[in-house]
Amino acid sequence: MKILIIEDEQGLCESIVGYFSEDGNICEYANSYSAAMAKVSLYNYDCILLDISLPDGNGLDILKYLKQQDNQAGILIISAKNSLDDKLTGLDIGADDYLVKPFHLSELKARVMAIIRRKSFNGSNIMVFNEITIDMMAKEVKVNNNSLKFTRKEYMLLMYFLANKGKVVSKNAIAEHLWGDGIDIADNFDFIYSHIKNVRKKLEEAGCKDYIKATYGMGYKLTDQ
Amino acid sequence: MKLLARYNRINLVVTVIILFITGGVYYGAISYILNNQVDKEISIEEQEVISYLSKYGKLPPEVDYKDQKVSYYNTAYPQKRRFTDTTFYNKKEGEYEAGRALVTSANVNGVNHKIVIAESKVETEDLIRLIFYITIALILFLLLILFITNRFILNRIWQPFYHILQQLKTFRLTDQNEITGSVTKIDEFTELNDAVTAMASRVKNDYRDLKTFTENASHELLTPIAVINSKLDSLIQAGDYDEPQSKLLTDVYDAVSRLTRLNQSLLLLVKIENRLVTDEQDVDLKLLIEEKLVQFKELFNDKDIKITTALQDKQINVSKYLIDILLNNLLSNAIRHNHTGGVIDIVLTNHHLAIKNTGADTALVPADIYKRFNKAKNSEGTGLGLTLSKQICDNYKFSLEYGYTQSYHSFTISFVN
Repeated sequence: MKILIIEDEQGLCESIVGYFSEDGNICEYANSYSAAMAKVSLYNYDCILLDISLPDGNGLDILKYLKQQDNQAGILIISAKNSLDDKLTGLDIGADDYLVKPFHLSELKARVMAIIRRKSFNGSNIMVFNEITIDMMAKEVKVNNNSLKFTRKEYMLLMYFLANKGKVVSKNAIAEHLWGDGIDIADNFDFIYSHIKNVRKKLEEAGCKDYIKATYGMGYKLTDQ
Repeated sequence: MKLLARYNRINLVVTVIILFITGGVYYGAISYILNNQVDKEISIEEQEVISYLSKYGKLPPEVDYKDQKVSYYNTAYPQKRRFTDTTFYNKKEGEYEAGRALVTSANVNGVNHKIVIAESKVETEDLIRLIFYITIALILFLLLILFITNRFILNRIWQPFYHILQQLKTFRLTDQNEITGSVTKIDEFTELNDAVTAMASRVKNDYRDLKTFTENASHELLTPIAVINSKLDSLIQAGDYDEPQSKLLTDVYDAVSRLTRLNQSLLLLVKIENRLVTDEQDVDLKLLIEEKLVQFKELFNDKDIKITTALQDKQINVSKYLIDILLNNLLSNAIRHNHTGGVIDIVLTNHHLAIKNTGADTALVPADIYKRFNKAKNSEGTGLGLTLSKQICDNYKFSLEYGYTQSYHSFTISFVN
């Protein structure tokens, strides 16, 4: 898949490119409004990550241009402007999602994957990872055709891991994804541990291999290697 | 005591004292003058007696008029000439009146005679009485005038002062409206108005600058934090770390995560103060609380916290975003400051929402809990949670009260104020 990152902060840009490229995705980036306009008018992308505040222009104008051109790319706004107005304006113009800086790369990846899935399969689709099959319409998880009883959070957690497969996902990122970033509980991540243990147990009991691995209290990684 | 009342009191006391003193002086002066007048008349009578004596060699016959009386008495020694106050018997009226008498003596053919010439002072007294009444009337009239002036005119004159005072009382830095002085012709009040208005706008400007600075600073911090965060996310992919290295990375993660929340809270505080969150809508509070309880389920379970609820239907018109943050903060606190196996009790009625939790055995200091960065020793929170909660409640004119009873800490939001 082909992704364009429009972001003026070099450090952030490099991290995003690095994180997304490892999956065999093609990542391009633009550091300014003019460079971004040049790219979007020439090439087609599956997904565009768009920073609103650019040194030489407003990201929302790029968004407007894309919508005028009836560009089919999924668009995710990334912005430091944690303002509801901006968010609503962005979504009104036609952005698919909105992510506020600072964010975890795993969260960004999960959002991008969700947008791309929605775009390419019109929302009804089946995702397969080895013996795990997920019906994203019915939010149903099956292992070897046996349906598993997952809670909403367990389902979200599995989807999060699948979107970031092969990557170490930090506990902080998991906590924010599942419980919201407003919960302000940084002193204790034990509840994540028991939560993940439940998911692993359910998968194993259904005859699934244990793909989720802990990495020394830092985080977890879903991998089949 | 009001300035006006105080001023009135001093004014009245002084006025009455001065009026009494002047009344006294007046009385003294008039008595003196009138006495002199009477004395002169008596002296003229004396002259007549003496000239009669020198002309005829005998005293004139005693006279007893309505208001004057000349009488003689034999005496062994010559009398010293003197004026005295006396009583005068008015035969016609049949009563005693105040009088003035001259006592002198004359030697008629070697016999000493005491001569007493007395005159009634009744007219003089009448005059003085009249003066006294006029003075009293004057005092009463003055008092009345003073009272009316103070009561009505001064009150009106001071009106601009009370107006500005009222505005100062309700003055809040975070309010958008400016102080306006009322129009007055009195220089002092105009000056006061100008000074207060200027001060208020200067203070507001400074405060606005400070807020803008906070906002900009927090905002500028977001980008470096975003970079650190993304670099950390990249770093943990980089390889197999051993346990000490992982521990280091985890600590950095936690610190960055706190920094992020701190920063977001600061930005949010500024935003609420500036009334920039305006997406009010009808929110079903009962439903929202139930959603929150599901969202926090794992956190409750982790600490074995028992939840009891008594929720009635309640709709409020607020920003969903802010009420979400408010509930997050209060519930996070109720979990964080709870002990394992504790209880959280949530009551929602039409009037209030109370979140009670077990926790430390000592009450918090109510005066400090809403201060920024005031937090428990072991708390990993930002220290802004309750400040934010309070700010959100203030924003909607809800009251947020802390209470501690029987080892339960409670925060109560009252919707009616």
